[in-house]
Amino acid sequence: MVEIRGVRYDVGDTRILGEVSTAFRPHRFNVILGPNGAGKSTLLRIATGLLHPTAGTVRYGDRPLAGLSALALARTRAVLSQHVELAFPLAVEDVVLMGRYPHYGRTATTLDREIVHRALQLVGMVPKRTQPYPTLSGGEQQKVQMARVLAQIWNYDDASEHKYLFLDEPTSSLDVHYQLHLLDTARELLRYNCTIVAILHDLNVAFQYGDSFFLLEGGRVVHEADCADEVPGDVIERVFQVSARRVSDPVNGSGLWRFSL
Amino acid sequence: MLKRLSFAQTYLLLGVLLVISLVASAGIGAFSFTPAEMLRYLGQRLGWVPMTSADALGRSVFLTLRLPRVLLAGISGAVLGVSGTLMQGLFRNPIVEPGLVGTSAGAALGAALVFVLGGNTALAFTRPLGSLAVPVLAFLGAFGATMLVYRLSTSFGKVNVFTLLLAGIAVNAVASAGTGFLSYIAHDPQARNITFWNLGTFTTADWKGTEMVGLFFVLCFLWSLRYGKSLNALMLGENEAAFLGVNPQRLILQLLIVNTIMVAVDTSMVGVIAFVGLVIPHMLRMLKSSDYTFLLPASALFGAVLMEVIDIVARVIIPPAELPIGIITAVIGAPVFLWILLRERQRAGVGFYG
Amino acid sequence: MPRFPQRPRVALAMLLALAAACSRPGNDAARDPASPRIVVVSKQINEFMYELGAEHDIVAKDLTSIYPREIMKLPSVGYHRALSAEGIISMRPTVFLTDGNLGPAAVLTQLRKVGIPIVIMKPGSTVDSAQMLMTALGTRFHHEHAADSIVAQWKQGMHDVLQDTLKWAGKPRPRVLIIHFGQIINNYLAIKRGGVPDQLLRWAGGDNAIDSVGGMARLTPELIAKAQPDIIIATDVGFDRYGSAAKFATMPGVALTPAGKSGRIYKIYEQQIMYYGPRTPAAIREIEGMLHPELASAAPAGGNAQPAAARP
Repeated sequence: MVEIRGVRYDVGDTRILGEVSTAFRPHRFNVILGPNGAGKSTLLRIATGLLHPTAGTVRYGDRPLAGLSALALARTRAVLSQHVELAFPLAVEDVVLMGRYPHYGRTATTLDREIVHRALQLVGMVPKRTQPYPTLSGGEQQKVQMARVLAQIWNYDDASEHKYLFLDEPTSSLDVHYQLHLLDTARELLRYNCTIVAILHDLNVAFQYGDSFFLLEGGRVVHEADCADEVPGDVIERVFQVSARRVSDPVNGSGLWRFSL
Repeated sequence: MLKRLSFAQTYLLLGVLLVISLVASAGIGAFSFTPAEMLRYLGQRLGWVPMTSADALGRSVFLTLRLPRVLLAGISGAVLGVSGTLMQGLFRNPIVEPGLVGTSAGAALGAALVFVLGGNTALAFTRPLGSLAVPVLAFLGAFGATMLVYRLSTSFGKVNVFTLLLAGIAVNAVASAGTGFLSYIAHDPQARNITFWNLGTFTTADWKGTEMVGLFFVLCFLWSLRYGKSLNALMLGENEAAFLGVNPQRLILQLLIVNTIMVAVDTSMVGVIAFVGLVIPHMLRMLKSSDYTFLLPASALFGAVLMEVIDIVARVIIPPAELPIGIITAVIGAPVFLWILLRERQRAGVGFYG
Repeated sequence: MPRFPQRPRVALAMLLALAAACSRPGNDAARDPASPRIVVVSKQINEFMYELGAEHDIVAKDLTSIYPREIMKLPSVGYHRALSAEGIISMRPTVFLTDGNLGPAAVLTQLRKVGIPIVIMKPGSTVDSAQMLMTALGTRFHHEHAADSIVAQWKQGMHDVLQDTLKWAGKPRPRVLIIHFGQIINNYLAIKRGGVPDQLLRWAGGDNAIDSVGGMARLTPELIAKAQPDIIIATDVGFDRYGSAAKFATMPGVALTPAGKSGRIYKIYEQQIMYYGPRTPAAIREIEGMLHPELASAAPAGGNAQPAAARP
């Protein structure tokens, strides 16, 4: 699991985050929810090690984040961002190979290339593996980034190490096909000793894919739930400043939210 | 075309081109040497072949003037090529020159100080340096300018790339103004020295200078080879590189220092040569790959080849006089660069290279 | 003798080898391989050598040595401040002759390394030292009689003209601006006090309109305005760029000066005034004529580009 203990983040005199003490559930799809400016990105960046908190600690399992070297951290966790800008015409498979960089020294091994191939298979981009990255569509590019991230934390078939996948609004600019495809692929990892922590902006998609939910408001966690149904409507209404109505999906009975101002 | 070859085969091809251009450059000029003669002179020098007095002048010219010059040209080309690659990797921007961070301009200012004020008591401390005064001060100037640019663009320990570029432009302007002022107040012969040196020349090459530039190039180049992967990762952005285990701030600082050392030493020897650092990585990306593990060694080889060809041109165009190198690189480099820009505009929407 | 390159194997350099083959400088076919070969980098020394009649051993000159006209047949080893040792050596000189004003400094080192004898003969800053240069050249190149004769004539000429110009003492001295054109920097320059042109001017009875001493200054409209010259003397290249005195007066700042208004803008050849030589007496008279046209003394007409004085 990813444990956040007493974390605060200040910029000058402004408190962006804090205090936050919570734990993202292991082997589950954890979703951080909240309005703009609630501190979701900051929390994620602290959880991934990109930012150092002003106070508090982050632990992966029983290992404190601060104690991990950059390379060890890179072998343990991977982050898929909303958009990755790449202006140079690297081939798709070269981009995915970058995910293996933390794992090899001077030259890539056959195992590394094998993993790259399998990652590409998982996202369905094998036919385009030699194509230059900038020539792909937005959705295809994000698939390639997903493959790279998968390659980075690929668990060999024994799945002995616990890996962490962080998703920072990875589907914001994608159409519904790519959205679902990407999140389906992510959920696959849960079977292989992986914990996912994601920021998703679409509440319904979040409730569809997520297992545990953390509602952030004003830099603090105001509600935690281990089931979509346990997120009460009035909390949603207050935090997002909307009117929320829960509707039942006629096919499988799962909850759908309808919003209005 | 090159895309069909593997990296190793590409290096081999570039290596062959380098050998050919080296031999050609060593043989062509106001003095001509056939490869047979060159081998004979080398053999005589090594004591394997008996010396003859008829060879004396040719051998002397070849061994003391031509050979160090040809090697210096190749090393300079490699320095500029690798430096351009490093800079474009650090800035994630293809329109970056080794001189953009103020290095070349600072080196030129340092050297100009020696040319103009060298006899002045203000610079009396340089006298013990003798003939090394120019390279040492050029190096100090380049380093000072680069560090100033770095300081200006760093806040809270993080380097902002755009501020780095702007600060580089500002420091370049100040250094150029300084050099211009020095050449204005200088007496006539000194002023002209600066003008010609600023245009770049391999004419004054000697073994000591060539060995020094060569030594620093080899050290800096070997060091930079370790960071091919890191530069690749940096292409995705600083955050993504950090996620992959790279420390972007440290990478930028280390490679900036290595780049400065290499370029400053070279500039102090041969003056300011533009466009090579800009064009070499471009052409290699277009012809083969954007992978930095390839670009670094390839730009060293290709840069050396290009510079040999340019040096040949410099020597045969207005014999027995020589054209300054910087003029030729500008004449060739500017149109090539414009062509690259036009190509990019035609393929707008698919990135810089298409 | 220079060798012609054969490079069939070097595909990359074929085009350049062609260029190299086409660019063999000079015409040495008629030379005796054992005769001396001199490369001279100095306008002044070149002119003196031709004066002495010692020029037939010169095989190459520098870019700015253009007097007398015969010298243009020789190949140039480049601009004297941007020389290349290889270019000089390729002329196979038996001696490299210079007045010391050359660059880059390493060229001399390189010539020494290869064993080319270097002779530096400085002209000094006075007429006497220039005459000693002529004598020294005569001695070195075995034209002592010619040297003695030229120097004697020169001394006499100087004596005569300086006697003549004594009449200007106590008379009003016009303010004169001497304008030179720097081809390398592509800009006009004003010649300051203390050098050779200024001395010729003073002998001719004029004062330099620029007050400061030493070398040349970049010409600007402010400089011209402050100088307010009565007369402008421009060296040939700079004058020819405008073409006539009337057009020259259109240079920014000149029209407002007495020289511009009166049209007293004259042309003189650079080689006549930049250094002391046998033509200096004639040059002084020519300048005299420009400064004091109302007292046209016994000056030879049309002093521009006179051929060298008769050789013995």
